[in-house]
Amino acid sequence: MFKQFTENISGNQAYLLFSLCIFLLFFIVVTIMLIRIRKPHIDHMSDMPLHDSQPDLSNSSKQ
Amino acid sequence: MQPEKFYYDNKIVRDFGIATVLWGIIGMTVGLIAAIQLYHPGANMHNQYTTFGRIRPLHTNAVIFAFVGNAIFMGVYYSLQRLLKARMFSDVLSKIHFWGWQLIIVSAVITLPLGLTTSHEYAELEWPIDIAITIIWVVFGFNMFGTIFKRRERHLYVAIWFYIATFVTIAVLHIVNSFELPVSAFKSYMVYAGVQDALVQWWYGHNAVAFFLTTPYLGMMYYFLPKMANRPVYSYKLSILHFWALIFIYIWAGPHHLLYTTLPGWAQSLGVAFSIMLIAPSWGGMINGLLTLRGAWDKVRDDVILKFMVVALTAYGMATFEGPMLSLKQINSIAHFSDWIIAHVHVGALGWNGFLTFAVLYWLIPRIYKTELFSKKLASFHFWIGTLGIIFYAVPMYWAGFTQSLMLKEFTPEGMLKYPNFLETTLQILPMHVMRSVGGAMYLLGVIVMAYNLLRTAKQGSLVANEAAQAMPLEPVHTIARESAWHRRLERKPIQLMVAALFVILIGTFIELMPTLTISSNIPTIASVKPYSSLELQGRDLYIREGCSNCHSQTVRPFRSETERYGEYSKAGEFVYDHPFLWGSKRTGPDLARIGGKYGNAWHYNHLMDPRLMSPGSIMPEYSWLLTQNLDTTTTRAKIHAMRTLGVPYPVGYENQANADLDEQAKAIAADLAKDHIKVKSNKEVIAIIAYLQRMGMDIKANKTTK
Repeated sequence: MFKQFTENISGNQAYLLFSLCIFLLFFIVVTIMLIRIRKPHIDHMSDMPLHDSQPDLSNSSKQ
Repeated sequence: MQPEKFYYDNKIVRDFGIATVLWGIIGMTVGLIAAIQLYHPGANMHNQYTTFGRIRPLHTNAVIFAFVGNAIFMGVYYSLQRLLKARMFSDVLSKIHFWGWQLIIVSAVITLPLGLTTSHEYAELEWPIDIAITIIWVVFGFNMFGTIFKRRERHLYVAIWFYIATFVTIAVLHIVNSFELPVSAFKSYMVYAGVQDALVQWWYGHNAVAFFLTTPYLGMMYYFLPKMANRPVYSYKLSILHFWALIFIYIWAGPHHLLYTTLPGWAQSLGVAFSIMLIAPSWGGMINGLLTLRGAWDKVRDDVILKFMVVALTAYGMATFEGPMLSLKQINSIAHFSDWIIAHVHVGALGWNGFLTFAVLYWLIPRIYKTELFSKKLASFHFWIGTLGIIFYAVPMYWAGFTQSLMLKEFTPEGMLKYPNFLETTLQILPMHVMRSVGGAMYLLGVIVMAYNLLRTAKQGSLVANEAAQAMPLEPVHTIARESAWHRRLERKPIQLMVAALFVILIGTFIELMPTLTISSNIPTIASVKPYSSLELQGRDLYIREGCSNCHSQTVRPFRSETERYGEYSKAGEFVYDHPFLWGSKRTGPDLARIGGKYGNAWHYNHLMDPRLMSPGSIMPEYSWLLTQNLDTTTTRAKIHAMRTLGVPYPVGYENQANADLDEQAKAIAADLAKDHIKVKSNKEVIAIIAYLQRMGMDIKANKTTK
């Protein structure tokens, strides 16, 4: 099935190779970024939605 | 340092919530009416303003920009304030944003039934409304970034990156796809023509799905799902990876909407390759969502909100697996133009967008009203009727899609088309269309029950319009140690983050769009293709007004089943004067690219008056108003002038002669109709649309030499 795709690629193959290279480069850069992030920071970030509400609503104004 | 006291603005969240439910009911009701017309054409109430071609765009615009749009703003305004520990930047901007957006929707509700449309799918609104959308979108961005700048939390949570990417990409998409030359207050021509216009449109159309229906919802998922399940997201690193990969890859995939058309082959292949790659980041998001519920699956049994989330994520996973599969050429050749695509988009829209919206509403409304949900039983009923509704909608549509496509492709042993009459295949799938509308009605009923439930919830509580909160102010940046990790630094720099996201989406945009827009060899010209006559041009604009392209394509793909049925396959050079292109994306009726000369003028006249006279059982609506309304020829001058500005080679000064030519051609058609005992004045709209229909494909038939 995949043979058909490679055969059907007409015109500019350089475009496809160029796009693939850009993507690989991009993917490697993001992966390096991820590896360089430390665990405490990750924990801090992922806890953010859980620590944003204030239990005290007594001062809130009502409509 | 002392903690600062401040208040979250819940009123704006509530307002967007009300708008979400209200427009959701309206948009889905319009969809239901449109669905019924596909087996009972009389459901248009014999009225031009409520006919399928005009209300189908109303349905799509209402559910995408009104229902989902308001839900996005509801989710963003709630989560952004809390993730940044700050009130929205400006209450005035919030209000302008809210009322401006509602006004845009109201203008769509008025203009689309009037037939004021650009015909670009999901971008049908005419140029003055496009400008209003731009202004309101900037107001939203200003308000969002203002809030980010006054935040009390240094790092931006992943949900906010999704919101930033949404903001910047939608701005780029909207502007590039709105390059129109105004002809009058509510009529414009697209600057691009033919293949180029198609490429820009589907680059836009595909990424509207990506950056309006997907990225803001992923952002909402990353905020609301951890709150609903009371546990952090499964993998924060995965969320970073899939964010960057998703926005990078999505932007390339648009050409998969144009497979087997006259778009250059390399652009099609590029679109297919990146569509396949899209499975990875899409499933990254789905898996991250579902695994967030690890260890909490017992809660799913009792908590209807989590049930909605599980179905939403499952639907997202199914739709994003199916999408790449549909972009494979072999599968696409069957699925494209058929009801299969309708099933595909509705799994995404009803399941992912709809159910996630309902979950957020059920979670959020009781909280801002400081009460409990009025009835869990009703919410549970909503969940089940909604889920069944999706199944009853999608399964018949899949069935209809396979059936019709395979019938259209079937040959007899002698090598003739087995079903040469398109209508035969349509009649075969009508029962499926009836079932689909039942599914849609069930889903809509669920939404109405939800509206009642939320209304009662609001009544039993009272709105906490300004919710008190406190947080430490941010220290100045120079006092904190330099952060070594790049990404950690990026997370506290919103503008750099926006620029990075913009850069990432522009890579794919440039590589994909630029060659087709700038290199002329990509569009071989055909010597015999001439500009439309003034009457044909007016007829073409009526074709656009009536939304004919919602059901009829104008591009013949290079398959034997299509060349046998419709004629020679389409060439890029045929469309060079088509501002806008009218290829369509769905064949509810047959392709019209080669309709010219196939039937006589009288056939078209009778067919437009009552399609069932000529094709018994046809589901096409009657266009009786075309027979009585006079053609507006005051616009001819401006239209010819605009077309020449866009590069269509009308001679200089042709404006002065255009209406005389128009009259002459119209009289000839009226005289021809008179021979068949049809008495009609030459100034009626039907004459113009017949002229256009008779022109389609004639250039190629006249002369087959290409240079």
